Amino acid sequence: MLATTLYEEGDHRWIMFARDPQKAEGIIDTNQYMVQSGDQAILLDPGGIELFAPMLSAVLKFVPAEHITHLFASHQDPDIISSLGLWDQALPNAKLYSPWLWESFIRHFGMEKIEFCAIPDEGMTLNIGRIQLQFIPAHYLHSSGNFHVYDPKAKILMSGDVGAAMESTDAPLWVDTMSTHIPKMRKFHQRWMPSNEAKLDWIRRARQLDIQIMAPQHGRLFQPPHVQEFLNWFEDLPVGIAIKG
Amino acid sequence: MATPIFVTAASIAAELHQAMLEAKGLALTAKNARALAVRAGSKTVGFKAITHFIDELASDIIRQSQYINGVSEHLSHNAVALWRASTAAEKFDWIETQHSDNIASLHHAMQSCYQQREALSHTLSRGLRELEQQLEEGDKHIRTANLIATSSKVEAASAGDFRNQLEVIAQNITDTADKIRAHLSQARRLLGQRQKHTP
Repeated sequence: MLATTLYEEGDHRWIMFARDPQKAEGIIDTNQYMVQSGDQAILLDPGGIELFAPMLSAVLKFVPAEHITHLFASHQDPDIISSLGLWDQALPNAKLYSPWLWESFIRHFGMEKIEFCAIPDEGMTLNIGRIQLQFIPAHYLHSSGNFHVYDPKAKILMSGDVGAAMESTDAPLWVDTMSTHIPKMRKFHQRWMPSNEAKLDWIRRARQLDIQIMAPQHGRLFQPPHVQEFLNWFEDLPVGIAIKG
Repeated sequence: MATPIFVTAASIAAELHQAMLEAKGLALTAKNARALAVRAGSKTVGFKAITHFIDELASDIIRQSQYINGVSEHLSHNAVALWRASTAAEKFDWIETQHSDNIASLHHAMQSCYQQREALSHTLSRGLRELEQQLEEGDKHIRTANLIATSSKVEAASAGDFRNQLEVIAQNITDTADKIRAHLSQARRLLGQRQKHTP
């Protein structure tokens, strides 16, 4: 599992875990993130059950297990959080932050020890060490209960499935030109995102944030000016196309 | 590859559920037989006495099937928990080989997981032994059912005008006992296969 430090200032770090060369064939490649501040850390969308061992092994290279105090699941999908039953064994004292809507569904992955902390529809903030993270509503993008994570200090937005692209595990980490990257995103966004209204609401929220890195759960990451270019492109993109056929 | 134990236990529970349904049919047969014996009067006194045994046997089989069903379902649940703990333990073993810097910080969780796996494994072994004993108990009921079926046939033969109807009932008892025996045999076969594969 490739680990990349996206941001580091003092003991405040963003680490991305992705591009696992041992990943089984047929499983979608995912980006996992860890935000650390002091002796606390949160894993953002820690991944599927198949990824648990390489993910935990990679994380332990940066922090001891007792410092992983929080987990975040943007929504209920298996590639996001089906590893929960195993994290439950590894981090019995951790707290899982996830949309309130999905609590009774996510518990199907197995959660006896970890504490579920419901995020209300309007979002909330969470202190990790000396920093404060914001859970930004991203409902219907694509899940009906969905949040992204914004770190105002690092100026990083973890944007879940928004900005995602289907690429091979050896793809570069950063978007270089939008014209070549857009074809890799278009169908995913048009088919997976169900609501133009929800899309515009999210774009309005995103434009209020100072984003130096937009970090989706699949594919490459965006930096300025590609962040703005993405927002403009997404704004014009008709989504929810499956019902128009 | 051996069938996972939670699948085996669930399959045994399903077999016992079927056995219980057959036993409910047997209870109904007992009621019909009793009604017929009352109508037939003195010629079927022997048969009437047997209907009480059929009724009692059906109740015993239903009670025991329900109990075994409960044991099997509990076993299946227990086996799933063991599978989860074992999966986590295997992942931890692999992580340990990776020499991660902070592997020591995971030791408490690892030990707790290994202990849980051990405890669940013991509980599962105990449950399997109990299941085997209960299934053996079920075989005794089947032997009783066969005796009752034979006696019913003998009594039916001397029931005069009611002979044909009572013979149908006696055959019904035999058929039902055969079906229950088949479900119990299948349950024991599943359990036997499981134990053959269990170290």
